[in-house]
Amino acid sequence: MEEYYLICEDSPEGIFTGIFEAYAMRKAHESIHIQVGEEENLRLFAVYSHIVPDPEKSLRVSSTLERRLGPEAYVDICCALASQDTEKGEAVYKTVVCGFRMKDGKQVMGNLSDPYVHKVFELARNVKNEAHHWKEFLRFQELESGVLFSKIGPKNNIITFLMPHFSDRLPLFDFMIYDENRKVFAVHPASGEWYLVTDTEAETEKFENYAKDEKMYQELFKYFCKTIAIKERKNIKLQQNMLPLWFQEYMVEFGE
Amino acid sequence: MVQLKVTEQQGIMEKLGILTDAAKYDVACTSSGVDRRGDGKGMGNTIAAGICHSFSADGRCISLLKILFTNECIYDCKYCINRKSNDVPRASFTPEEVCTLTMEFYKRNYIEGLFLSSGILYHPDFTMELIYQTIYKLRNECRFQGYVHVKAIPGADPLLIQKTGYLADRMSVNLELPTAEGLSRLAPNKHRKNILAPMRQIQNGIKVNKNEIVLYKSAPRFVAAGQSTQMIVGATPENDYQLISVAESLYQKFELKRVFYSAFVHVNEDKELPALPGGPPLLREHRLYQADWLLRFYGFAANELLSEDRPNFNILLDPKADWALRHLELFPVEVNRADYRMLLRIPGIGVKSAQRIVRARKNGPLHFEDLKKIGVVLKRALYFITCGGRMMYNTKVEENYITRNLLNVKEKLPFDKEGVTYKQLSLFDDMGFSMPPSPSDGMKTLSGQL
Repeated sequence: MEEYYLICEDSPEGIFTGIFEAYAMRKAHESIHIQVGEEENLRLFAVYSHIVPDPEKSLRVSSTLERRLGPEAYVDICCALASQDTEKGEAVYKTVVCGFRMKDGKQVMGNLSDPYVHKVFELARNVKNEAHHWKEFLRFQELESGVLFSKIGPKNNIITFLMPHFSDRLPLFDFMIYDENRKVFAVHPASGEWYLVTDTEAETEKFENYAKDEKMYQELFKYFCKTIAIKERKNIKLQQNMLPLWFQEYMVEFGE
Repeated sequence: MVQLKVTEQQGIMEKLGILTDAAKYDVACTSSGVDRRGDGKGMGNTIAAGICHSFSADGRCISLLKILFTNECIYDCKYCINRKSNDVPRASFTPEEVCTLTMEFYKRNYIEGLFLSSGILYHPDFTMELIYQTIYKLRNECRFQGYVHVKAIPGADPLLIQKTGYLADRMSVNLELPTAEGLSRLAPNKHRKNILAPMRQIQNGIKVNKNEIVLYKSAPRFVAAGQSTQMIVGATPENDYQLISVAESLYQKFELKRVFYSAFVHVNEDKELPALPGGPPLLREHRLYQADWLLRFYGFAANELLSEDRPNFNILLDPKADWALRHLELFPVEVNRADYRMLLRIPGIGVKSAQRIVRARKNGPLHFEDLKKIGVVLKRALYFITCGGRMMYNTKVEENYITRNLLNVKEKLPFDKEGVTYKQLSLFDDMGFSMPPSPSDGMKTLSGQL
């Protein structure tokens, strides 16, 4: 049996378009695979095709998924698509197939004995956890201009999950979050709607002109964190379990 | 407007140091219990699950700016670092300073909000009034919409407590010690009834408010995230059974959201206080939190976990495994058929995995591999369950055999076995323990700071 590989762009739009094309092929789903980005080792007897992201097809897929699989599964799928895992496309595609075959597609995420559903479940959990960690641990620094600026280095592409959260908390502030791994800025103008800007040439040095009180508040918080610890209970291992070291470089209280 | 003692010679850094140091023994640093979106005209919101923003060197979560308004105090509680007779540096904030720190920390995403407690300056009413004014300013002038946890000061005018409750998300009154005898021994100025009165008042306030909300959607919320309390563990001779029974009745009769346990830290020299050469009783505190979880989320009653004859928790096994080993007649349980309540009682199965099992088995029978995917800790659960009528391995359902095997699976404790635990082992030996039991609450119950 021939195997078909659909090579999709690494974006929800790219992968949803891939799912659309997979269904349009009208072949057994077991023989079709979705792959994100280029394949390094080409397989013999496999047919490869490149899928160009198509907003209209993508929208049709996303609204069908939301309707037939329900909001819970849809959110999990969207989270899984933000994962850094390269097999996410295949996992989501086969989860959709599994859901459409079930009597009640809305129960698909409960079907954890299906390996693809389980994979989507794991990826979504990983992405949600990371997004939650950044809500906890990212730090804003006030720039001379009054803008609050934060640099993050997430493993998964989670910046869009952070913005609704911070926009609700800081509606009257100009603030900006910068994903240094993807060179993406998320910008929130005071009392406005947030948006994304990709800038691969960004000079982040210009975000190091701090407001005059910025250092003082960093020092105050650092001092607070140091003082609040009970020395009789000192437990650095527990601290690092709860707050992995790789986050600490982004946090003012762990600076020198 | 009340007048404050002038402490202008102290800088903000120095005050923050003194008043953080004085507040650090208060346990609760949670920001959970209420979802509230911002209204677009101020700063802040709240998230029901709570958010931790950092972890201090003792591994405890930092969620709120936890400070005392003042560490001046007219009381002389023997366990407390701020007792009147202690010669420690004293300081007081102004309401403006508290507001500025909260706002500046919050906008930088350092904290979820403010936890404001206080020593008793002059009189309970005077102190409560200061707290009220501070929170009033924070809410109305600064338009702060993040989380606020304040202490209700025992003995303060109920009207002040009422007014503060409409501004705070959570209020707490510290029980301090589990029994009235303990309290009168160590906190001669405090009285049990003065502690329970505001607790009851807040409970009733929350009830009345729920009805108001039903009638008028826009009615102001009163202590929307509920109330909590804390007890010191190991300063007085009460046993675990007494502690957990007190907690149970607080949950049932006072409808508390949380009871916190605080391992006694020896900060003052006083002949009434125990010496605790092994340091704070952290393992005991940990077992109490595990049991507390069993009371709140697993459907256990205090008298199922302990009894007059067996008044302390097993140091080697968690309370749930301990219970299971004493009730082997109920096991093994068939995972594909057992009801949710029974699933919760199986060691190695937590609330989430029990919910997933109930859901997943609708799609067909579950096997051991599926349980693993669902998050069941099989190396604990395998002695207590069957899947499709079979046990995972050929194991005996026999107390000594299972106990031995469970002990081989290292329990995840929040502190080193080498350090604290051995010292605690000897401590518990003196108390004559005699039990075997398991855990599943993971890291978060450790510090009890979910």
